[in-house]
Amino acid sequence: MSDFHQTDPIITLHRLGRAGLERIESEMVEFSKQRPIALVLPALYTEFQGEAIKGIIEELKKVKYIREIVLTLGRAKEEEFKKVKEFMSQIPYEVKIIHNEGKRIQEIYATLDRNGLWAGEDGKGRSAWIAYGYILANGVSDAIALHDCDIVTYNREMLARLCYPVANPNIDVVFCKGFYSRITDRMHGRVTRLLMTPLLRALQKLVGSNPFLLFLDSFRYPLAGEFCMIADVARTNRIPWDWGLEVGVLAEVFRNYSPRRVCQVDIADNYEHKHQPLSAEDAQKGLMRMCVDICKSIFRILAAEGIVLSDSFFKSLQVAYIRLAEDIMVKYEADAAINGLVFDRHEEAMAIEAFANAMQRAAEAFMGKPMGTPLIPNWNRVTSAIPGILSMLKKAVDEDNR
Amino acid sequence: MEGFVDVMFQPLEDFWRGFISFVPNLLVMIFIFILGFLFAWVIGILLKRVLAVVKFDIWCDRVGLTALIRKGDVWAKPSEVFVRILYWFLVILFIMIGLTALQLPTIDNLISQFFVYIPRAFSALLILIAGYLFAGFLSRAVLIAAVNSGYHYAKILAEAVRLLLVVLILAMALEQLQIAPGIVVAAFSLLFGGIVLALAIAFGVGGIDAAKRIIEKGGEEKKEETGEKGRDIEHL
Repeated sequence: MSDFHQTDPIITLHRLGRAGLERIESEMVEFSKQRPIALVLPALYTEFQGEAIKGIIEELKKVKYIREIVLTLGRAKEEEFKKVKEFMSQIPYEVKIIHNEGKRIQEIYATLDRNGLWAGEDGKGRSAWIAYGYILANGVSDAIALHDCDIVTYNREMLARLCYPVANPNIDVVFCKGFYSRITDRMHGRVTRLLMTPLLRALQKLVGSNPFLLFLDSFRYPLAGEFCMIADVARTNRIPWDWGLEVGVLAEVFRNYSPRRVCQVDIADNYEHKHQPLSAEDAQKGLMRMCVDICKSIFRILAAEGIVLSDSFFKSLQVAYIRLAEDIMVKYEADAAINGLVFDRHEEAMAIEAFANAMQRAAEAFMGKPMGTPLIPNWNRVTSAIPGILSMLKKAVDEDNR
Repeated sequence: MEGFVDVMFQPLEDFWRGFISFVPNLLVMIFIFILGFLFAWVIGILLKRVLAVVKFDIWCDRVGLTALIRKGDVWAKPSEVFVRILYWFLVILFIMIGLTALQLPTIDNLISQFFVYIPRAFSALLILIAGYLFAGFLSRAVLIAAVNSGYHYAKILAEAVRLLLVVLILAMALEQLQIAPGIVVAAFSLLFGGIVLALAIAFGVGGIDAAKRIIEKGGEEKKEETGEKGRDIEHL
């Protein structure tokens, strides 16, 4: 059970008292009649060879308030796509699989490309974006939830709690992000703990009070991949296709909606999924690549907010970040001690050094190319440029699933 | 005996003479076929480049032709589809020309019918393309007008308009192609007449009060106008 502290400016929904899965699910069944919900599952074929997905599907079979599931499948050959289709057929309600490597969906990407609407490289961002397009084309769901397919500790209460704030018409929320702790015998979530939090605070020290930084810092787990939103958010938001996805989504939500209509919800006591290697020596892989992309994304959003970022700013930022990250590491050490968790101080310090290095690389990339790679355009712009694109996408997915 | 041998070999001789006179025609036909394939291939390559230069695919995407092609589960680029259609049209054309070289009366008759049919096929294709674009435009206009007027079923109304127009266009195209024209016209008349009758009955039954109000309102407005005019004259 957590505390009940509210972090401004967004709403925080805690886990208080009894869990009450049956109550929340029965309410969700009623809410979903007014606001049908689609669940987007971005997955690679390799994830279907693991154990986590089996647990997720077993849980999803029992869910009664989801109108449609859209599984957006990456890196799968034709035969593998058929196997996944077979595997997903055990779910008793509508499931559509987007075969991103299939010839029909590839032609959709080619159509976008030749019209100057680049949908980015293959990855979670593009996969999620194309799934939103299909949901908008289908026109039956008013809310969209998304979570990964590698959650080992998945249970359907996670999904219910994630969707509840958006589905409940009495809570005026347009976007809801999940939060949780990631603990085994030690604390995980290094990028959030040792990069995001100290970086945001260092930026606030240098820039002063900034609404966007405050908004980002009010999330307990800003890099969590689980969220739920009304379908209009998917229509109006542009998203990055790289690792800056989570930060980019929050930036667009901040830009288009009032923070009072944004919430975070405690979805699980513990959350376990695959852990990325640090790969401190190679900035093109693992957590380093993720950190570079996240930092670049934050720098570009701040520049777009009108904040001047110069060489000297980045030098001061790096120093401030290291100081704050070291301070925060001490706090986590104490937290680990009281909870009887393993805490490798040397490893954590190494991670901070690697993240500072990543930040420097991101700063260099930003100074070299301030505009960076373009975001995936929002669906409003896409349908304006190619009026028939949604019907094409629907046809492609429906034919693939026939 | 000689006479018997002559009679026996006469058909074979006739066949041989016929075959000898037929072979040059056959060779000419094969030559025309090969020429046709080569010509179609060269024209295809040239057309592909021209369509790429004029950005034909982007134009198709924007006017909705790509969406129309995709409805038929065709996933090649519009320019590729267009080039392929033209390629096979040219190949068939050359096959037909080649077949005339055989100088067989039955085939000649068939080919002359084919050439008479080509303009009809073209006009049917044009009706389909222009009609589809027009249906899309009108459906969108109805959607915007209905949404702006606050109608709840704007999307259904727009789709109904599109469907009716598509039925009309299909009937026109089939009539142009002379495919069972009598049945097409009768089916279309029945369908269209049925829809109009259904709408009339629906309005007559469900909207009788609304119609009465509209007519009464119109009558009152007229009366007011004439009354005002009368007063103006009186005043003058």
